[in-house]
Amino acid sequence: MSDQAPEATEPTGIARTSIDDLTGRLETDREARWNQYEWQLLPAVPLDPLIQIALDETLTLAVGKGGREPTLRFWGWNAPCVVLGRFQSVRNEVNEDAANEEGIQLVRRISGGGAMFIEPEGAITYSIYAPDEIVAGMTFPESYAFFDAWVIDALKELGVDAWYAPLNDIASSGGKIGGAAQARRGGGVLHHTTMAYQMNIPRMTRVLRIGKEKLSDKGVQSADKRVGPLRQQTALDRDVIIHHLIGHFRARFGLTDDTIRDDEMADAHQRAQDWFSTPDWLYFLP
Amino acid sequence: MHGEHKTPGGKLVVVDLDRVDDRLRKVEVSGDFFLYPDDVLTVIIGSLEGLDATLDQEAIAEHVRLALPDGAEVLGTSPQGIAIAVRRALEEGAE
Repeated sequence: MSDQAPEATEPTGIARTSIDDLTGRLETDREARWNQYEWQLLPAVPLDPLIQIALDETLTLAVGKGGREPTLRFWGWNAPCVVLGRFQSVRNEVNEDAANEEGIQLVRRISGGGAMFIEPEGAITYSIYAPDEIVAGMTFPESYAFFDAWVIDALKELGVDAWYAPLNDIASSGGKIGGAAQARRGGGVLHHTTMAYQMNIPRMTRVLRIGKEKLSDKGVQSADKRVGPLRQQTALDRDVIIHHLIGHFRARFGLTDDTIRDDEMADAHQRAQDWFSTPDWLYFLP
Repeated sequence: MHGEHKTPGGKLVVVDLDRVDDRLRKVEVSGDFFLYPDDVLTVIIGSLEGLDATLDQEAIAEHVRLALPDGAEVLGTSPQGIAIAVRRALEEGAE
């Protein structure tokens, strides 16, 4: 955490102590950290998966250097894809022949964590971009819990018995709902979360390799038993759930409607072309 | 040669390597863990490349641990988990 903001620049009144130390001040501290900003909303626009990945870097850097207010962005998908974690090997995670046959694009994101199989209407993904001072003094696990707390509250309002499961899962009594991942760069923190809305298990298991070792501590035999997609748990339309998440965030922390600026989109396209689409990035771990 | 280890309640780490004259070569480390900053992975791989393949798990873990720069964060796996995957690759690894 060497790039963390020094103590002197922290917002006043926010303790630099473990968030688990002070249960009394915990809630107030947490809300104050969120409420110190003018949050902007970027609603979902269907975009190429590569552009989504690149936009995460563009916007993390923009918020980190103060060129954009802290932002909540929902992702729109225009194509099915597999999104690999930063440190995953392509051949260990993906059956590339099957992915090609199925017309499924392969991209690598800037955060760690596991591979996601995405179909446009099958997932709900959002990114939060904030200055890294928002998690000043927190350990990494604490910062995951901090960023996920609001969405868990919002899911509970929809009747989902959800909770945060360390390190980065959103779990529920109906099965795992989703996961989060963070990247930090240039003074900005990216926390993005993907939740399953509807699963195409046969297609997913053709494309993703899910090995025995990966399931070794799960106590289950197959991948599908591990997830509890939101459609199954709420019987609500995907758009209704997204609308509710936005409403919860807006009521709690404030949220101003915004759009991706032309210069931001141009920057993302440039990054996609120069880096995220290259074999050096995608096959960084072959 | 290929070895994997999943930290209970944590993440998977995968090690691929060759064994040449009792040294680790062409080491690759991957998985769904988290590292901060990103280039810690290069440090971990660098600490394993050329290492004595007869070292036990504890010695390998210690070697990785000492290579980590101050402030580096390894989440979901650990030097110990990486060392287990290395030993598994050496002992069980086909390919």
